[in-house]
Amino acid sequence: MNAPRFTNRRAAFWAGIHDAVGAPVLVLFAGMVGFGAMGRTHGFDAWMTGLTSLLMFALPGQVVMLEMLISGSSFLAIAFAVSLTSARFVTMVVTLFPQLHRRDRNRGLYLWVHLLAMTAWSMSMREFPHMAAKHRLSYFIGLGLPCWLIAMPGTVLGYFVAGWVPDAVTLALVFINPLFFLLTFTEVRPWANRIAIGLGCVLGPLFYVWDADSSLLATGLVAGTIGYVVDRRWLRPAPVEVQP
Amino acid sequence: MNVAVQGWGVWLALSAACLGTYACRALGVKLSGHIDSESEIFRWVAAVTYAMVAALTVRMLLMPLGLLATVPMLLRILMCVVSLAVMVSRPTRRMGPALLIGTLLMLGYGVVRTT
Repeated sequence: MNAPRFTNRRAAFWAGIHDAVGAPVLVLFAGMVGFGAMGRTHGFDAWMTGLTSLLMFALPGQVVMLEMLISGSSFLAIAFAVSLTSARFVTMVVTLFPQLHRRDRNRGLYLWVHLLAMTAWSMSMREFPHMAAKHRLSYFIGLGLPCWLIAMPGTVLGYFVAGWVPDAVTLALVFINPLFFLLTFTEVRPWANRIAIGLGCVLGPLFYVWDADSSLLATGLVAGTIGYVVDRRWLRPAPVEVQP
Repeated sequence: MNVAVQGWGVWLALSAACLGTYACRALGVKLSGHIDSESEIFRWVAAVTYAMVAALTVRMLLMPLGLLATVPMLLRILMCVVSLAVMVSRPTRRMGPALLIGTLLMLGYGVVRTT
């Protein structure tokens, strides 16, 4: 890439906002509305349901927490199970943040990391290679901020409309989230990641039946390692493309 | 309605869950400081992450909790296939139309089912 895609950080930030307002915000909003409705139907407090979205901002973990609260699990068990479902954040951050400019890789990241969700991650992984390293953090913040800000209003809205919205609408809202992630998989480029995704789709349910709690981690390690090894041994061209 | 769902126990669980989730993010930041985006370990971790995300997505679609579970599995898969077909029907990806088609199909199913 020769000419930089953005003139400055501000332009990159607004481009992030621009990319967020559309599918990503819609997807997150739908997911959070669904979560709010779930909180209401399970008899939780509106404040508690809304704060969960703001402070945890990780839908699978939030759902696990509600389910476990209902079944009467101890808070230690809940913390453990939720952390396990959030383990993916460790690798998501590890794959995203090394692509940032050296100057941006400082303590401030401990703040910005809270904006990371699967939506912002998949978009950033796709877009980062097409922009200069110094613009990536601004773009990421622009992308993540609207997604995070929409989480609590979406949840509260879902909480209050639950019950009088027809089932068909709720059904569509709940479906948007996984559908979006499925669709983003078609945009993944490196073969190692493509193989990992394909295998992950097949092995995920199998491992889930075998042991639900550890299934995500187990699937990731097995499918990811196979994808990586196959790519490295047979598919990768000898000189690796140089990223700008 | 479970008694445990009310009171301070809920807030304790919420705090613990938030801390646990943030700890994972912070651990990622900590570890990412030592990893180069051109390195082999980076490529491996990326593949592992994509596999985890794929497994999570498939779980949400094939083994959903709640309302989505009331839709027959075959219909769920069919709607995904139609959306994917729209998505890859052009070299320039069409996220908007694909997402819309899938959502409308699900909405349509919901309407037909209730009438």
